[in-house]
Amino acid sequence: MAAMLKCVMSGSQVKVFGKAVQALSRISDEFWLDPSKKGLALRCVNSSRSAYGCVLFSPVFFQHYQWSALVKMSENELDTTLHLKCKLGMKSILPIFRCLNSLERNIEKCRIFTRSDKCKVVIQFFYRHGIKRTHNICFQESQPLQVIFDKNVCTNTLMIQPRLLADAIVLFTSSQEEVTLAVTPLNFCLKSSNEESMDLSNAVHSEMFVGSDEFDFFQIGMDTEITFCFKELKGILTFSEATHAPISIYFDFPGKPLALSIDDMLVEANFILATLADEQSRASSPQSLCLSQKRKRSDLIEKKAGKNVTGQALECISKKAAPRRLYPKETLTNISALENCGSPAMKRVDGDVSEVSESSVSNTEEVPGSLCLRKFSCMFFGAVSSDQQEHFNHPFDSLARASDSEEDMNNGSFSIF
Amino acid sequence: MKFRAKIVDGACLNHFTRISNMIAKLAKTCTLRISPDKLNFILCDKLANGGVSMWCELEQNFFNEFQMEGVSAENNEIYLELTSENLSRALKTAQNARALKIKLTNKHFPCLTVSVELLSMSSSSRIVTHDIPIKVIPRKLWKDLQEPVVPDPDVSIYLPVLKTMKSVVEKMKNISNHLVIEANLDGELNLKIETELVCVTTHFKDLGNPPLASESTHEDRNVEHMAEVHIDIRKLLQFLAGQQVNPTKALCNIVNNKMVHFDLLHEDVSLQYFIPALS
Repeated sequence: MAAMLKCVMSGSQVKVFGKAVQALSRISDEFWLDPSKKGLALRCVNSSRSAYGCVLFSPVFFQHYQWSALVKMSENELDTTLHLKCKLGMKSILPIFRCLNSLERNIEKCRIFTRSDKCKVVIQFFYRHGIKRTHNICFQESQPLQVIFDKNVCTNTLMIQPRLLADAIVLFTSSQEEVTLAVTPLNFCLKSSNEESMDLSNAVHSEMFVGSDEFDFFQIGMDTEITFCFKELKGILTFSEATHAPISIYFDFPGKPLALSIDDMLVEANFILATLADEQSRASSPQSLCLSQKRKRSDLIEKKAGKNVTGQALECISKKAAPRRLYPKETLTNISALENCGSPAMKRVDGDVSEVSESSVSNTEEVPGSLCLRKFSCMFFGAVSSDQQEHFNHPFDSLARASDSEEDMNNGSFSIF
Repeated sequence: MKFRAKIVDGACLNHFTRISNMIAKLAKTCTLRISPDKLNFILCDKLANGGVSMWCELEQNFFNEFQMEGVSAENNEIYLELTSENLSRALKTAQNARALKIKLTNKHFPCLTVSVELLSMSSSSRIVTHDIPIKVIPRKLWKDLQEPVVPDPDVSIYLPVLKTMKSVVEKMKNISNHLVIEANLDGELNLKIETELVCVTTHFKDLGNPPLASESTHEDRNVEHMAEVHIDIRKLLQFLAGQQVNPTKALCNIVNNKMVHFDLLHEDVSLQYFIPALS
């Protein structure tokens, strides 16, 4: 039995599915189809590894949902489970899920299933009068990436109606790269990032202040100002058009990632975005909103240069990410960094979020800013490292595997995420 | 230098937004001149603009509150250069606003700060602020930014519906860049283009002419005699594209082979636009 997926959706379900794909396309050009007992997860990460998106459709969302994983028995009686490793390009999938409103109206049923023998995903639309539209898309074998993020430990939590976010987004032009979210226990402000507007003297600096009573839920533990990529914010807004659920925002201090979530029982969407780290954030006690963060982009880059994991960190900040790169050496370095950190929770997670204790990560007197980003980078490599560790612990397994799974192992180390 | 103004009236706010949209379509960068009794949006006839110039005037009573202090007591005016689109985009978020405030500020660099108080569903209002970067124009350059002198036209005529004119000119643009605009004192206006293969003319009749300033000089002139100007069609199209709403009054003055001058009135805001003849 091979790892496979098979699911059936109605017209209105296809619309939600299509919106999820569109939302993820704001982050990356590729995504993984990752079925498990929790449901079908669509996952993606952007090229600079500063944003991660995941939309999880629970099994009851579908009219029919069936999946399986390949279980390999080993000599040590420790079975390894190989889930479906399916990565698809947005360029192939987006055109299929175009005109969602008309799809919703016109199709009776949509079937999606994989054919692992041919590395293909088949998407079929069944219309009235016996008309059937079939798409065959080749997928790339690639281990999905997951990010571990515990929303419950975040100091600051907001819940807003999507309308509010849509109103805020209108303030900024599409050329705006970064925005800053500033909160106090009493109010909320979204504004163009200070760093950017100081570089370009022609840029308009815009701000919107919203009172706390406009929020469904407003819990701020600490005055904070965090800066993140604007384009990725629009992703969750795209998805919110498909559901009527409010958007929840979880965040802490600058440098720690921000999570945007929508959970409407059947579908759960999570977008995790990196935030710009502030050197003083760890050292200083909670301050008022007027925290002067006079850091120059060049300074940040200088400080980070020369550290092992800063390849990713640089890209998080500088936005000059190379489109996609192989990270063979850096992957291995990061794993050793993980081991040094002694962080226990970096497993391949089955959707259960496990806690990353912050104290386990820091072990040296390093520049706090880089530390925050390094921790974030470590999160991304969670799935990859566990794969590696599995292989290290079960050396005989790799010999016993069929030839295509050896390629999997290589893909696990070197694949482009 | 100080400037503070406030609009609380919804209709005035919408009108100001429309004017700003129009300016954004007519000029990428323009000068804002603030004087004690009015505001002007100015585009002067530099070569970079292709010789086109614009003069738009708003009376100060547009605003509910208006305070300014110029560069000095003798020169009680302020001249600022800004990117027009920045202002129109900032005002776009002022739909349904309770109040709009504009003031001159200096955060990191000189700005025109547009601050809008929005109505929201809850008891607290939302406050949106836009800091639009500006450049203060030094006094020695002010002489180039004065109100253009309107020469005596050979023909002065009321314009047809601008939307119609615009759709005609849009189609003509595909055929040729060189347009002839001609009119006479008998209420006739023609738009002509000519290429080797084809010649297209659109005739507008019964437009009416405003009374001439000095009747005596033109007494013996043939009323049907056409005054004409050869202009770049794209400049005319840009002007027409900026007019989203039909103006209260629209006049066209032609100086034979020199230039065409458009004189519009949008309620109480006047707009003058000068297109020179092709050389």
